[in-house]
Amino acid sequence: MRKLSKLLLTLTFALSITSSAFAVVVASWGGAYTESQKLGYGDPTAKKLGIPIEWVDYSGGLSEIKAQKEAGAIVWDIIDVYAMDTINGCDEGLFVEFDFDKDFPAAPDGTPASQDFFTSMPSKCAVGNILYSWNYAYNSENLKGTPKTIKDFFNTKKFPGKRAIYKGALTNLEIALAADGIKPKKGGAKIYEALQTEKGIQRAMDKIKKLCTDPNGGCVFWSAGAQPPELLMSGEVVMATGWNGRFFNATVGEGAPIVQVWDGQGLDYEYFVLVKGGPNEADAKKALAEMTSTEGLAGSAKYIAYAPWRKSSIKIMEKGEPWYKDGKTNMVPHMPTNPRNTKNYFLVDPVFWADNGTEIGEKWEAMKAGL
Amino acid sequence: MSSETQKILTTDGIPLEESLKKAEKKNKIKAFLLVAPLLLFILITYVFPIGDMLFRSVDDRMVTNMLPKTFKAMEKWDGKEMPPEEVFEAFYLDYKILVKEKRHGKLSTQMNYEKNGFKSILKKLARKQKKFKEGNYKEQIMAVHKRWANVEYWRAIKRRAPEYTYSKYLKGIDMYKNEDGKIVQVPEDRRVHKILWLRTLEVALFVTIFCFLMGYPIAHLLATLPMKYSNLLMICVLLPFWTSLLVRTASWMILLQQQGVINDFFVLTGLVSDDNRPEMMYNKTGTYVAMTQILLPFMVLPLYSVMKTISPSLMRAGKSLGGTPFIAFWKVYFPLTIPGIGAGCLLVFILAIGYYITPALVGGASGTLISNQIAFHMKSTLDWSFASAMGLMLLTGVLVVYWIYNKLVGIDNIKLG
Repeated sequence: MRKLSKLLLTLTFALSITSSAFAVVVASWGGAYTESQKLGYGDPTAKKLGIPIEWVDYSGGLSEIKAQKEAGAIVWDIIDVYAMDTINGCDEGLFVEFDFDKDFPAAPDGTPASQDFFTSMPSKCAVGNILYSWNYAYNSENLKGTPKTIKDFFNTKKFPGKRAIYKGALTNLEIALAADGIKPKKGGAKIYEALQTEKGIQRAMDKIKKLCTDPNGGCVFWSAGAQPPELLMSGEVVMATGWNGRFFNATVGEGAPIVQVWDGQGLDYEYFVLVKGGPNEADAKKALAEMTSTEGLAGSAKYIAYAPWRKSSIKIMEKGEPWYKDGKTNMVPHMPTNPRNTKNYFLVDPVFWADNGTEIGEKWEAMKAGL
Repeated sequence: MSSETQKILTTDGIPLEESLKKAEKKNKIKAFLLVAPLLLFILITYVFPIGDMLFRSVDDRMVTNMLPKTFKAMEKWDGKEMPPEEVFEAFYLDYKILVKEKRHGKLSTQMNYEKNGFKSILKKLARKQKKFKEGNYKEQIMAVHKRWANVEYWRAIKRRAPEYTYSKYLKGIDMYKNEDGKIVQVPEDRRVHKILWLRTLEVALFVTIFCFLMGYPIAHLLATLPMKYSNLLMICVLLPFWTSLLVRTASWMILLQQQGVINDFFVLTGLVSDDNRPEMMYNKTGTYVAMTQILLPFMVLPLYSVMKTISPSLMRAGKSLGGTPFIAFWKVYFPLTIPGIGAGCLLVFILAIGYYITPALVGGASGTLISNQIAFHMKSTLDWSFASAMGLMLLTGVLVVYWIYNKLVGIDNIKLG
């Protein structure tokens, strides 16, 4: 039975292979994000190395690549994934393990790649491409006063109205604790220390529950990245957590009166992984090194407000301001890694979530059911 | 001898019986070849995948084969206190091989499904075990991380010993087998699957009822109006049917939200005050409204096709025999539409039970259904065996509904047109 289903899968994938025989295939999230990747470093790399690069969309998760592998016909070479997926995929043996400083070029000033990247990688299979932020924003036309801290997000007395928060527990527990008085300290270590205990998780859940059941507050849960700016614009909520790139797009791209608050932001990352046994593994490796070089990563920030991983990329951007594609917006102040934005922040801990994600998820849903 | 002579022979000397059998066999083969593509199609797209799913949900040989020594040593351990030194030693030896063969990542994934928190401690152990000294493995392993000194984690390993297990099904209803072999509930703050099953059932049931209540009059109108009006009405039913699901859901969001069109209208007409707008979305109301509208055509169309075949003279006859319009409807018309009701309700219910995009977008805190959970384990945790188990439970649920329907109404009584 297994064999037969394998055969079938092989057939399906064989059909899809023919369309992309020699190009390096990169699977990413689509939309404006893939556009920024394609224009920022995909096309320049293809031109420089003479390796055609093809971008395909997927909706995240490892199920597709696992299915491709089980069928014995892998069609993707490189995948853009979350941190948790690099850990899980690396453990499952789906991805190539890197020898980081050998596989990736040093910064122009000679700093080795492992030192040039903002933090270390969550697994041996990962190379970072962007950092984005889970911060919160408000509509300045709908809200009296100016919230400044993460505590204000939970302060329904001073800022009455509904809040939009992410539908899952990810980052919600962290901001709850940060607002409840735990200083994140460097990289949020204190927060994750607290979340290691049942008591800490309960404390965070209670804080969220209190916000959602408060008659002056209340919660709307968002699931798609486009929702938070929209909920703010329609006046459905007064504040919303969300991804900084989406808020930037609404403000700079569309002129909406949305203001971002960076206090207590969670820095999260996107990674590239190289598929083990992909159709063009050697070419893909070369292309990957080029795309994640200093120049390459800086390129994508021209099109979207996500920060390049390399510190040396930021330097290039500073010199090249205004860096945004419209030719008049300075990009560096909008970067989540900008020192002005990282006064109080935490790094979303993929190891913690890979370890505890399912059980916390169950508790989170049970809590939501009681709202 | 006499029987031989009685046998009827064909012209070329073969007994007729045999020759007939041969011809029939040929026909049978031909008939089989005709249905073979369909049979193959059903086998490949339906029977095999479901069989594979069933197998996946109970197959646990991977872990069994990864830790052979450990499970052998654990046979004597009762699971009450911390396991003895032999278990630790066996585990160390098993794990050492796995690390050497780079298969320990898979074990950590599997064990993390059983109990959260395994992933990091197994990884830590993989690093630390290289420097282990011979003897007293219990102490050395327990020193790696405090969770290794927690008996819960060792019980979790023991639970993975059998080659085939139904534990994923138990997990699907928030139960597990404890160290005494008793089936007990998981801690109260983690009982989420039961909530989700009931919620899924509730949503599907109410959406079916609402669809029926709204679809029946529409279908009746469609079937009885003159052609030129009914065609127009038919387009009104079909047009949303052809529109993308996401577009329709998004439209409901614009209409129903607190600052949305409907609420604005209420405020404008003075029905409600501006700061007291009713919440019609991000709760169950929103889910029911959006899903009912989306699934309505699946109720209207089978009803319509059945009602179309009912002659209007039957109602007239009922009335002329002395029945009030209601009696005539209830005793004559309604029973004739039951095949359509059955088809419509079954269709809507089965579609609704597997829905999740619409509830996730408009349902708010109560927007997670069991299919979201299946997708989560399919895509994020990669626990395909658990996802398979829940998928099969859902399938069984649908089959039970089908069976009940068959007992109550009879499946021959279904009519799609």
